[in-house]
Amino acid sequence: MNLAQVLNGLALGALLMILSSGLALIYGLRGVMNFSHGALYMLGAYLAYEVTSQGLSFWLALILAPLGLAIVGAALELGFFRRLQRRSHIEVGLVTFGIALVIDRLIVIVWGDNTLPVRAPKAVDGTTNVFGTDYPTYRLLMIVVAIAMAAALVLWLRNSRVGLHIRAASHDTETSGILGINVDRVSLVVVMLGGALAGLAGTLAAPYFSVSPGMGQSILITVLIVVVVGGIGSVGGAMAAALLLGLVQIMGNVWLPSVAVLVPYALLIVVLLWRPTGLAGKRV
Amino acid sequence: MSGAPVLEASGVTLRYGAVVAVDDVDIAVAPGVLHGVIGPNGAGKSSFMDALSGRRRLSAGTVMLGGEDITRRKVAWRRTHGMARSFQKTSVFNSMSVRTQLEMVARRNREEDLDSIVHAFALEPYLDQPCSAISYGLQRSVDIAMALIGKPHVVLLDEPGAGLSQEESVRMLDHIRALCSERDVAAVLVEHDVDGVFRVCDEVTVLSLGTVLACGKPADVRANPAVIEAYLGSQA
Amino acid sequence: MSSVPTAVSTDDPAVVPDLDDDAGGMLDGRVSVGLERRVVLRGAIVAAVVLVLGLFVPNIITDSYDMGVAADGVVLGIMAIGIGFLAHRSGLISLGHTAFYGGSAYGLAIATTHWGWSPTSAALFAVVGGTLLAVAIGALVIRITGFGFLMLTLAFGQALYAVSTLTSVRSVTGAFDGISVTYAGENTKFLGMTQAQLGAPHTFWPLAWISLVVVAFGLWLVGRSRFGVTLEAIRDNEERARFSGYNTYLPRLGGFAISGACASIAGVLFALKASYVSPDVLGFQLAGDSLIATIVGGFTILVGPAIGAVLYIYAQGKFGDTGNLELYMGLALIVTVIFLPGGVTGWVVEQFRRLRTLVAGRKGASRS
Repeated sequence: MNLAQVLNGLALGALLMILSSGLALIYGLRGVMNFSHGALYMLGAYLAYEVTSQGLSFWLALILAPLGLAIVGAALELGFFRRLQRRSHIEVGLVTFGIALVIDRLIVIVWGDNTLPVRAPKAVDGTTNVFGTDYPTYRLLMIVVAIAMAAALVLWLRNSRVGLHIRAASHDTETSGILGINVDRVSLVVVMLGGALAGLAGTLAAPYFSVSPGMGQSILITVLIVVVVGGIGSVGGAMAAALLLGLVQIMGNVWLPSVAVLVPYALLIVVLLWRPTGLAGKRV
Repeated sequence: MSGAPVLEASGVTLRYGAVVAVDDVDIAVAPGVLHGVIGPNGAGKSSFMDALSGRRRLSAGTVMLGGEDITRRKVAWRRTHGMARSFQKTSVFNSMSVRTQLEMVARRNREEDLDSIVHAFALEPYLDQPCSAISYGLQRSVDIAMALIGKPHVVLLDEPGAGLSQEESVRMLDHIRALCSERDVAAVLVEHDVDGVFRVCDEVTVLSLGTVLACGKPADVRANPAVIEAYLGSQA
Repeated sequence: MSSVPTAVSTDDPAVVPDLDDDAGGMLDGRVSVGLERRVVLRGAIVAAVVLVLGLFVPNIITDSYDMGVAADGVVLGIMAIGIGFLAHRSGLISLGHTAFYGGSAYGLAIATTHWGWSPTSAALFAVVGGTLLAVAIGALVIRITGFGFLMLTLAFGQALYAVSTLTSVRSVTGAFDGISVTYAGENTKFLGMTQAQLGAPHTFWPLAWISLVVVAFGLWLVGRSRFGVTLEAIRDNEERARFSGYNTYLPRLGGFAISGACASIAGVLFALKASYVSPDVLGFQLAGDSLIATIVGGFTILVGPAIGAVLYIYAQGKFGDTGNLELYMGLALIVTVIFLPGGVTGWVVEQFRRLRTLVAGRKGASRS
């Protein structure tokens, strides 16, 4: 396996890392597996398309799409998660499943069925020489953004006050509430952040994968697997699992191309049967 | 009332990571004997019950039932072979009627006289209601009744009086006392109600910080200076 | 684990003494657990009447297209009531029953088209194979509940889908092109029906309807039996069930296998009628849609999911072309989960119950 393939693995892992962090945050706090996360990612990609097709720069899309998705996240929290707090987690999960179907279809109604192109900005459109290999610069950008985001997120969760509240509320919602943490407000922050991260991932993916109506569903299963493998509600675990899956997937593509598509499933099955709470998870 | 112990556990140790919840505890209970276990909070009483009942795997030690080593045995096996338990936090089948769940346990454990247990806990009026619809005290009775079905040789009762009023608690302990004598059951009873324990139990073990502080007849334990200092304080 | 809300069981305790001479477990002469002869007989009579009545449907529905909708709905309904059975009795939501549905459909297709078996033997092989697959997968996944279970069933189901699309096994599965089912040799009839007759909705209907009634009756028996009550107890409080002496692994595996068998039967029926099998029978859309049909139909009532399935097939016909089917499925799911936890049938039953108490209340009030 050569360096370019390793970097491809990291690029895929980077995307998954951004996506899965948001999903893991929401899962950790609300206990809900957000099945609409793939649709949010897709919406981010389509928003990026919309921004760039209006002639605006890609860098602007990188800001606007996550913002837009943060608003969508707020709508999810206020409209659904908050109202359905008392219901079982599976029920809320099913609702998000339905939301995904609705968003998927609405996107096609607005933007049509075709695959839409989003071009990477000129500055990163070429290749860079990495240890003797010429590698697409854009993918390096993806990796860099993902690592920066991961570092920022982890530092923020560890050191800020809101981050402390998030961690506390994720660990024990009831006690946190008693201790004076406004769980509803923390939830809003978390879900908006999760949405924004999905939007960021979608924007980054747009030049890499192109924008098409099936992209939400195809990435959903993968990112669900990453979060479950990483461990219930563990953001760090999800990040590690994302990189792991990215690399393992590429290895599979190289060495066992005929069955590479089964790699995520095999990973999930093996990990869950060995450790039902995931690699880093504590509670089920 | 005494004789060879039917429940014998020695060296029972339970560790949660670095924390030693139960440290080298022994216990021996003969048929018909009601053996109380008391101690301050965090003494390891519930953990001890978890260890004896098989809910948690022992870090060290053995548990013998009727002379047979059951340390490795699973929970369901223990129940059908004579070791039952009730729970500190009431654990019943909420959506099923009282009748149905008692019958289910009875069928599994070959109980022929379910009526007498129902009568002993005064559950007749509630038989056809789902457990979620009856009062907490009655749910508790169902929990304990389920543990007594099938004439188990050993019954482990984890704070049967928890959540009950003083009067209900006294009645509960009396029921247990009577049923144990009638059915020749060896019972281990964890309780916070120290006076109640001293009143109905034949033997008492005092746990503190996971180890045995004292063990013997209620009167002796009550007068034990170490126990008084660590636990009973001005109560004795 | 908190389960999807279900109504408290409406089964009345039997008033007849237990006729299978079982020692112990009886409370003052009445038994509430297990099957009693009188109740079973009553149920069998109801099932027989429903069966016979249903056979006249082709006389009422003359349009071939509508008949097709009904037939397809019934076939999907068999899988749906299997999914519903698992959800109701064990509290487990599965996104992987397509593995058994599609797996047995492919089994039939491969056995007839590639191996030259007769349709009858192939069908038997497919149903048994699908059930064994359910046992195999169940053995691994049944230890886990909640989201983990959902994810694992999804993973197994979609892994099988991925396998069906692999170009490396194209010779067996046809990959994305699928398999056109052909019967060769002398024995080309399934239970006396030719391939053409199987493909025509009016002649296919009796097979589908009888299968549905038989499967539904079977599930009803299982649900009311001691086994069914055991499953519910395990769903209600798994730890307590163990502490009461019950093995919790095997009963749940049994429940999973039974629900998988339903999906297998449905898959075989599908293959017999459509005479064409493609990866769609294993795909994510079908997995999601069949689950939604089960939930919207309502699984607290045994036949609820079947009604949901018929509604789905009808909607598929109506909205499939506009592409808005999935939009409506999503909305239906959201509305059902939030406002109608028992699904459509649960809601209807609830209205009847309210009406009954209202009427009874009025009677009581006018009397006093």
